Amino acid sequence: MTSATAVGSIQILGAAFFSTHHASALDVLAGRGRPFTPPSYRLLVGRARRFTSLVTQMHIEVCGALLPGAADPPMAVFATCQGEIQTAEKLIADLRDSSMVSSARFALSVHNTPSGLYSVATGSTAPTTTVTGANAIAAGWLEASLTALDAGRTVLLSIADEPVPAVFRGPEEPVGVAAAFLLGASPAGGRAQLAVTPCSEDAELDAVEVLARAAEAWRHNEPATVALGRIQPGTMLELRVAAQEARA
Amino acid sequence: MTGGHPITAAALANCLGTDSRTVFARAFAGADAFSAASAYHELPFATMLGIMPRCEIDVVDCVATRLATVALASVRQLRPAVRAAVDRWGARRIAYVFASSTGGLEETERALAPDPRLPLSSAGYRYTDHGIDATSAAIARSLGIGGVCMAISTACSSSFHALASAIRLIDRGLADAAVVGSADSLCRTTIFGFHSLGLASPTATRPFARDRCGITLGEGSAYVVIERDAEATRRVALARIAGIGAASDAFHHTSPHPDGLGGQLCMRQAIDRAGITPNDIDCVSAHGTGTRLNDAAEAAAVRHVFERRVPMTATKSLTGHTLGSAGLTALILAVESLRRQEIPATLRLEPADDSLGVAMVDKLTPRRMQRILVNAFGFGGSNVSVVVSQPGPGPS
Repeated sequence: MTSATAVGSIQILGAAFFSTHHASALDVLAGRGRPFTPPSYRLLVGRARRFTSLVTQMHIEVCGALLPGAADPPMAVFATCQGEIQTAEKLIADLRDSSMVSSARFALSVHNTPSGLYSVATGSTAPTTTVTGANAIAAGWLEASLTALDAGRTVLLSIADEPVPAVFRGPEEPVGVAAAFLLGASPAGGRAQLAVTPCSEDAELDAVEVLARAAEAWRHNEPATVALGRIQPGTMLELRVAAQEARA
Repeated sequence: MTGGHPITAAALANCLGTDSRTVFARAFAGADAFSAASAYHELPFATMLGIMPRCEIDVVDCVATRLATVALASVRQLRPAVRAAVDRWGARRIAYVFASSTGGLEETERALAPDPRLPLSSAGYRYTDHGIDATSAAIARSLGIGGVCMAISTACSSSFHALASAIRLIDRGLADAAVVGSADSLCRTTIFGFHSLGLASPTATRPFARDRCGITLGEGSAYVVIERDAEATRRVALARIAGIGAASDAFHHTSPHPDGLGGQLCMRQAIDRAGITPNDIDCVSAHGTGTRLNDAAEAAAVRHVFERRVPMTATKSLTGHTLGSAGLTALILAVESLRRQEIPATLRLEPADDSLGVAMVDKLTPRRMQRILVNAFGFGGSNVSVVVSQPGPGPS
């Protein structure tokens, strides 16, 4: 894969975006902020809402926004770079301070907590998976697109990350961000394409901006190319949306 | 999935041993490899653990964590097979798909919870040590492969979801082969967490026994190389991935559906995708964690799918529950079962829970087998089943 290689044609049937510090994807791109605003995550009710982390709440928020556009709750791919990192920090602190951990918190500490709660909330037995790691945005797009093409069915892709607690000495990004996309398998010549292109090893992307650009690429009736992240050494995954896709 | 994919290499390491040959010898001899919590894991409650024995491993790059040690115990066994795959396809056509449930959580524990019982200081801690993919880039580099690299984490079904992802990469032309690996190391958060849920057995786990009372946690790694179906890969195949199925319980985040609904769905799907019927399955390798609810739900699912009492074994009685690595661990033992034509015993089964209505194998049992169905179920109601078959003639 030393030159651009098409992965496959897909349809983007819908997109949703949430940021704790921006009212919309457009505001991200315009540099307009807002005070911290939590998600409402209405798809979860009653006890299911208890102990949920911000990353889970944001996943549920954007999934809930797209579900009305899907005939049935679809197969779902969740993607997250850090997963339940705030819950992990609390568990370790509990263990250090009291030699005990909360069973409820532990149960919700796995990376696939959002997908589990999603399937329970929707009553969907469709399979879900969770892609993680530094390249989770790109790998999530790849996994969801290949799943849609493989199954010939609609796939819900949900991507979210919460701020990393300071004690981890990780990235100092204070914004929680999520985006979801409803993807359909497209016949040859479809309007959105994933392509693999060469990139430099030091290419760095801002997750909030990447997700905002992808969500906006679907909204506007203009051709757009969004770099999603590295998928193999020296190689970037790109989303290329043609103009017609905006009206699909 | 349109056909089977050859498994051209497999390796595992866990409490039974740090190389596959030792693991197989001890597993098929019915060795009991569990031990009381070590000094490092000193716990205020009784439980047994499946701890991987010490082994000398050359750490790669700067990855010197317990997760890396556990993973590399398997990876080092794969190097000749990966070199052969590189010769066949080229380094950039070989993907690396890694799965784990806890990833580098232990490293973060050591850094964030200063405790005189913990042997390492936090001085060398890097944020990236925490991630599920903490070891991925270094291990892929050390294997000399440069294809698509991704990580999957769906609790105890992680490694089977990774296997499904790798097969999609091959089927859609993004790779010709994939190194699919999984590893989980023991850490205090996991041990205390399962204890807090009442799921950690105080004694060695007894899957499907009448008085079973929970999980024995283990650490381990399991890796396979799968390749595009071709004459060259058929010749060296150990076995074949014939079908994979996945489904959700949609019932509860940590408790299984009482009838094992997701398990039923994924077993049927795996069997359908293999192009066979339940009657063609010679043995089921159960998820079999040893908890009351999990085993009952899985038994219900098996009863629904199979009209006969298919022989069933629970290898977590041998390896412990290796979490994100559980699926591939059981699958590699199933590959060895097909080679030996023997089903390993489910340890500590007696007295068996006859009310479950499944045919558990309680001693090493010779049997002619073409196909084994392997289950991996996890938190979030995440269920995956894989049909593994004799290498045989592949699909055209």
